[in-house]
Amino acid sequence: MQQEVVLAMLAKEPSQGFQLRARLDEALGPLGEGLNAGHIYVTLGRLEKSGLVGLESPGGVGPTDRKIYYLTPVGQERVAEWLAEVSWPKPDLAEFHLKLVAATQGGLADPVAIIDSQRRELLRRLREAQRAAMEEPDRSDAALLLEGIVLRLQADLRWLETCERNWTDRRRNQ
Amino acid sequence: MGKLLLVLRLAMKDLRRNPAEAALLLMAIASAAATLSIALALRGVTDHPYATTRAATEGPDVIAAVQTNSSAALAGLTALKHAPGVTRSSGPYVLDFPTLVVNGHQDPVLVEGRDTTPATVDQPKVTAGTWVRNGGVVVERSLADLLDLKVGERITLGTSQGGYAPGQKVVGPTFEIVGIAVSAAVQPPAISTYAHPSGFPQPGLIWATRAASERLALAMGGPFGYTLNLDLASAPSAPSFVAAHQSGELSLISWQTMATKNGDIISIEQTILLTGSSLLALLALASVALLVGGRMEQQTRRVGLLKAVGASPGIVTGILLTEQLLLSVVAATLGLVIGRFAAPFLTNPGASLLGTPGAPSLDLSAIFLVFAAAIAVAVIATFVPAVRAARTSTVVALADSPRPPRRARLSITISSRLPVPLLLGVRLASRRRRRAALSAASVAVTVGALVAVLLFREHANALESESAGGLYRFSGPGDPLWERGMDVMLVFTIALVTLALVNAILATWATVQDTRRSAAIERALGASPEQSGSAMIVAQLISSIPGAVVGVPLGVALYSAVGRHSSTSLSVVGLVGVVVAALFTVALLAAIPASASARRPVAEALQSETI
Amino acid sequence: MTTDDLIVRARGLRRDYGRDESLVRAVDGVDLDVASGETVAVMGPSGCGKSTLLHLLGGLDRPSDGELWLYGHRIERSSERALARMRRKEVGFVFQAFHLMDELTARENIELPALLAGRSPRAARRRAFELLEQVGLQDRAGHLPSALSGGQRQRVAIARALANEPLLVLADEPTGNLDSVATLEVLRLLERLHDGGQTLVIVTHDERIAATADRLISMRDGCFIDETRLTGGSRGHLGELIGLDA
Repeated sequence: MQQEVVLAMLAKEPSQGFQLRARLDEALGPLGEGLNAGHIYVTLGRLEKSGLVGLESPGGVGPTDRKIYYLTPVGQERVAEWLAEVSWPKPDLAEFHLKLVAATQGGLADPVAIIDSQRRELLRRLREAQRAAMEEPDRSDAALLLEGIVLRLQADLRWLETCERNWTDRRRNQ
Repeated sequence: MGKLLLVLRLAMKDLRRNPAEAALLLMAIASAAATLSIALALRGVTDHPYATTRAATEGPDVIAAVQTNSSAALAGLTALKHAPGVTRSSGPYVLDFPTLVVNGHQDPVLVEGRDTTPATVDQPKVTAGTWVRNGGVVVERSLADLLDLKVGERITLGTSQGGYAPGQKVVGPTFEIVGIAVSAAVQPPAISTYAHPSGFPQPGLIWATRAASERLALAMGGPFGYTLNLDLASAPSAPSFVAAHQSGELSLISWQTMATKNGDIISIEQTILLTGSSLLALLALASVALLVGGRMEQQTRRVGLLKAVGASPGIVTGILLTEQLLLSVVAATLGLVIGRFAAPFLTNPGASLLGTPGAPSLDLSAIFLVFAAAIAVAVIATFVPAVRAARTSTVVALADSPRPPRRARLSITISSRLPVPLLLGVRLASRRRRRAALSAASVAVTVGALVAVLLFREHANALESESAGGLYRFSGPGDPLWERGMDVMLVFTIALVTLALVNAILATWATVQDTRRSAAIERALGASPEQSGSAMIVAQLISSIPGAVVGVPLGVALYSAVGRHSSTSLSVVGLVGVVVAALFTVALLAAIPASASARRPVAEALQSETI
Repeated sequence: MTTDDLIVRARGLRRDYGRDESLVRAVDGVDLDVASGETVAVMGPSGCGKSTLLHLLGGLDRPSDGELWLYGHRIERSSERALARMRRKEVGFVFQAFHLMDELTARENIELPALLAGRSPRAARRRAFELLEQVGLQDRAGHLPSALSGGQRQRVAIARALANEPLLVLADEPTGNLDSVATLEVLRLLERLHDGGQTLVIVTHDERIAATADRLISMRDGCFIDETRLTGGSRGHLGELIGLDA
């Protein structure tokens, strides 16, 4: 989990661990089901060590989730920076592309077969995301996120189609 | 200059792409142009031939005749030779009215006794053979044509015991036909001043020698009458001379009357032809409107395409106009040529006159008129779609159906209750109401004209049965006037029916164009080819039935107005026959393209729409 | 699966255009089985013959060769009349260009197939209102197509295809002319139809439409080259779709 995400979630108000968890769940809808509870605490721990987050104990020693976390001034600065950043998650197609190249050059596998199985997988994901999107109420946060996922999958599928055509032609012309 | 060539090229290309359409439009305009040219060619067509004949034969200014035997009458006639104003004369000549027997025909005929030497006034011009001599007679040309007589044949001129009743044995001297001639003094039957005792009019004239006519007169108990030809000092004053000397026994006729009456033969034709050509013009207008309407959608789309590509409105109009002008000019030329060659057929000005109509179709004003009419049609046919297309935004013009059909709620609701072919047919008809109206009008005009012709023919048949036997009828079959009228009627009936067929084809074609998409959708939704085809037939009939029904009273009115006869008994069978035939033809013409397109696979029809 | 359970069974379907040098094999030896209730999607680049295939399945065009059964009836040699009957009773078609009648309202457009099939005007109207509700356009019943958006028009077209309760609905690029919002509308409708047990064959460019199918077939140059089963596998976790687990 990106540190900055957790950091930013604290900006609203100092919160306990489970409150953060709830906020994330709401924002992610059905996609949040895979979220590992433990990860949040691990991240919070790291942030505390870096001095971006402070810890408040309601007095006394107790279970971990009772602790209240808050943003330090450094943390706030970091959040402001992060909000202004325009970095975008990179589409990591290079790995797949190299996979195909390696398979061909090394005679390890048929690139078209690799593409086909990848397509199948993406189609299945597309189907699931689409179904989930339609079950969401209109304009909910989760619906919006799902729409984005669907569109990206669609774009990836288009690229895979092109790849398939390309690699098939290459094979034919050899 | 380059722009002009571009416009020309695009126009030619478009015409070549749709040769069938171009041919249809050409036919429509050409037949109207042809009729117009014929009508114009007939203007005053016999003035020339009559004048020619008059000049060639020293035609008389006045013809005077008595129809009795009495010497007093003869004296009165002869006295005219010295009347004031008379310069020359010939005659009096003996007139007989024997029965002519030749080639199985037996009919009364007028015989005039003449000198073998040429007369000063009215010397008939011999067109075949020679002038009268002993034992030889000369037959007047129209009579010779009618009975198919040739020089060298033998005829009998005699009498029978039973008077002039047909079937009687005729005895008398035989003669040889030594010549055939024309004369300006021959009176056409309709205006003949001779009344034959048997009730028949003067049918034709034979010239014989004085001696022969006197012998005939003797055999018949006296001459029928006498005739005298006069030349006046002032030819224009002939009518007043006639008025001054006309009396009970003495009948006179001026050369002006003769000219007019000879012209009458033609002018009755001309009336018929002008009526016919007005009807044809109506039909031609309907054709053009139908064709324009059918092309409108294509044209609107083409205009849209051209506009989208950047053509200025000027170029666009230029292309449309050029196409239409090309067609109209070619059609007008075609029409004029047809008219030029057809006119003589109709205006053989009675064999009794010399000469053919002096090439009036080359008359500049007539040519100008025909071209002007054709160009006017071209301009109208361009103007309407161009204006509409200019007003339509390019996007709409390029859309699937730039001119969406008007919605007819009533017919949509009503049609839902009908069986499928009627459902589809009614909706099809109500999609383009203006076209349905044009079709109806076209059918009405055609049925009307056919009804008028039918009535005319019935009148003819009635006359035929009225006057039994014999060859000559007064204003009936056998009368050259009549025959001419019937010929003309035949020509115009053919033209009319042709144009009506063209219209029906045009209407169907335009409808097919228009409804290609809807028909394809209906078939995709499950309408069978039979249902689809029947729908087209139903649609055409829906517009044609009212037209046919209205056509009947229209035809009766037309006949009364033009025919100058009170309408005879109407044969119901005939009328019903015309209506049924018209509707059947419409249905047939609709069925052919309908079944052709209905058999084609649906995908094709839909595909062509989305392109 | 016996032949009777199959809605569509095609063997060696061929559709050729032109002759000699200009011969084009639009559909070149296609075998296809579609079971009742299945949704099959056919995808491929333009010109691969998928639309032609659909036209063949719907009887809008005749194959040059091959065999085609619809619900057990052999149809590749049927007369135009028999094909028309089939289109009335057994097959509904949805076109990319909608092909609605411009002068009829939404309701009248939907009624038309029922009227063509000989149902009474009242029954046809009832069915039309039913379908309008199903596609969510009850309040647009009296509108002309020109007053409807693209998505709405296509939904009317889909309703029209369902008018006679067809065994099979064929859709040719149903979202080809639609924007993304309208595409979603149609997508929802197709999902609902599928869930209701309607047999569908959809030809599409759009992966999202394809993703609603049970089976996805890829087509190129007139042949089927690949088939993917999209249902019947284990359901993955949605959470795997996002990369928040670092």
